[in-house]
Amino acid sequence: MIHESKLYKVVRYVFLVLASIFVLVPLIPLIFMAFKTGAEYSSSSVLDPPVNWFNFYNFKYALKVGKLLQAFLTTGIILVISLGIQILFTCMVSYVLHRFDFAGKKVVQTAFTLTMFIPIVATQTLVFRMMHAVHLVNTMWSVIILYSGVGIVGIYIMLNLLDNVTKEIDEAAWIDGASYHYTFWKIVFPLMRPACTTLLIIQGIALYNDFYIPNLYLNSNVQTFTVALYKFYGSMSTPFEIVSAAILIGMIPILIIFISLQKYIYNGIAAGAVKM
Amino acid sequence: MASTRNLWESDKKRKKIQADRLIFIILFLAVPLIHLLIFSYVPIIGNFIVSFTNWKGFGDFDWVGIRNYKKLFSNTEYISMFKNCLWYLLAAIPQLVFAFFLAVIINGKFRGLNVFKGILILPYLLNGVIVSTIFIIFFQNNGSLNAILGAFGLDALQHKWLQDLKIVNPAIASISIWRYYGMNFIMFFGALQTIPTELYEAAVIDGCTKMQEIRYISIPFIRKVLLINIILSISGSIQVFEIPYIMLNGSNGTLTPVIQIQQSMYDNRVGFAAALSVLVFVIVLIVIGLQKLLTRDD
Repeated sequence: MIHESKLYKVVRYVFLVLASIFVLVPLIPLIFMAFKTGAEYSSSSVLDPPVNWFNFYNFKYALKVGKLLQAFLTTGIILVISLGIQILFTCMVSYVLHRFDFAGKKVVQTAFTLTMFIPIVATQTLVFRMMHAVHLVNTMWSVIILYSGVGIVGIYIMLNLLDNVTKEIDEAAWIDGASYHYTFWKIVFPLMRPACTTLLIIQGIALYNDFYIPNLYLNSNVQTFTVALYKFYGSMSTPFEIVSAAILIGMIPILIIFISLQKYIYNGIAAGAVKM
Repeated sequence: MASTRNLWESDKKRKKIQADRLIFIILFLAVPLIHLLIFSYVPIIGNFIVSFTNWKGFGDFDWVGIRNYKKLFSNTEYISMFKNCLWYLLAAIPQLVFAFFLAVIINGKFRGLNVFKGILILPYLLNGVIVSTIFIIFFQNNGSLNAILGAFGLDALQHKWLQDLKIVNPAIASISIWRYYGMNFIMFFGALQTIPTELYEAAVIDGCTKMQEIRYISIPFIRKVLLINIILSISGSIQVFEIPYIMLNGSNGTLTPVIQIQQSMYDNRVGFAAALSVLVFVIVLIVIGLQKLLTRDD
């Protein structure tokens, strides 16, 4: 934009720097704390940097006592299976809804749209009893099953993409004698990959960070990373320097994903939102 | 003869294609639809029924009519947890305003753009336990907030933020500004990028100021996204759970409906939990209905 005045440029930087301070100020004491010893924590101000930046005791302790590596593994398994199923089914549902007319189509569409209005808590009182009845509570399968549902935001993202994949591709394949399955799996599905990436990122962040469902369904034998972190609060006095170290460990995968996929995060979430 | 045979053959072929088509559609929809039924619709309807019983989650139950609902509206503790939600609703106002101006201001090309984008998205990537810990450290008696106030000589403003019953709810509600503005910010940013640049160029030619540009181009153009974010904030504030639950376990008067639902479930008061769930659901439905009413002309 050519018309930006000098004043506007200055105002912009001032505003952005202030906003960055707003974001970073609560975070910095946490980073300091992860490197402090217990005695140092109680004697120093939270705003004082640690004496020794190479004090990794808290990290080792957090990994061991919090069973964090095991929790990462559990989280990884849950995410891979449920995201795989969820994205695959979202592609399938969206393809059928976009390309075919059939009796009851309107009902199916409405059924998926209405879920947007159902708060997750409003269903869990009874879903928990169901999971209990089939002995899936305290296993990762309860969480995987709940995470594998097809959501309306995902459908919107896929429909948006299919608008740009011409139906003539399908029709040409059918005329050449290709089956419906061949047409979808070999021709259309590969073209849906960009939307799959978007959904993978949005849902990946959401599920990695979810607390409500794993906290309800899992115990200390099988736990996701968020639940493992929460367990630090279970003991009477929370050693903050340990929790801080555990949190920094947990932020590593997110930061790696973020740095490598920043562009997709911005585009993906915006795409989902604009379509809503 | 030959032509009849061809017709018959093509009829048979057509029928086979139609059957294939139907099987394909059913195959692709069956599992997700069954999932939807079992985990969304059956529990919603079941909840409504259970809310009129004293079911413990196992064994027999009695019908108790509207007793669970009466309890909700007669106990001051339960009414106050809905009042607590209002603090979160109030916090949504600065949250949305901040996110909007941030999106407007970052929408352009300048040095350091990606660094700022990276920092500003950070809170959106952190889970509830991390955010709660960050703000326990921030708000505790010897925490960062009191230390900063002390450093600026503002000792008079120091408080026991998490213990003072008058202050604890607004204090932890304000955390949602920090935690959720990023979500709104990205949505606004995405919407702003769909505005054609010709509009801004025309505005320059007409001699518009930046504020006029925001007022007459940006806001009308992303009206729908603004509205969605307002609705999300309202329905989100009735469903607040993580921050008060993790930081204080709902104590010190920070109870919210969702924390109460969870506690009632653990106490085997499933009938009561169901009634509260129905109430939360109805409130969310009213909010969404309001949105539909407001966007009907789109």
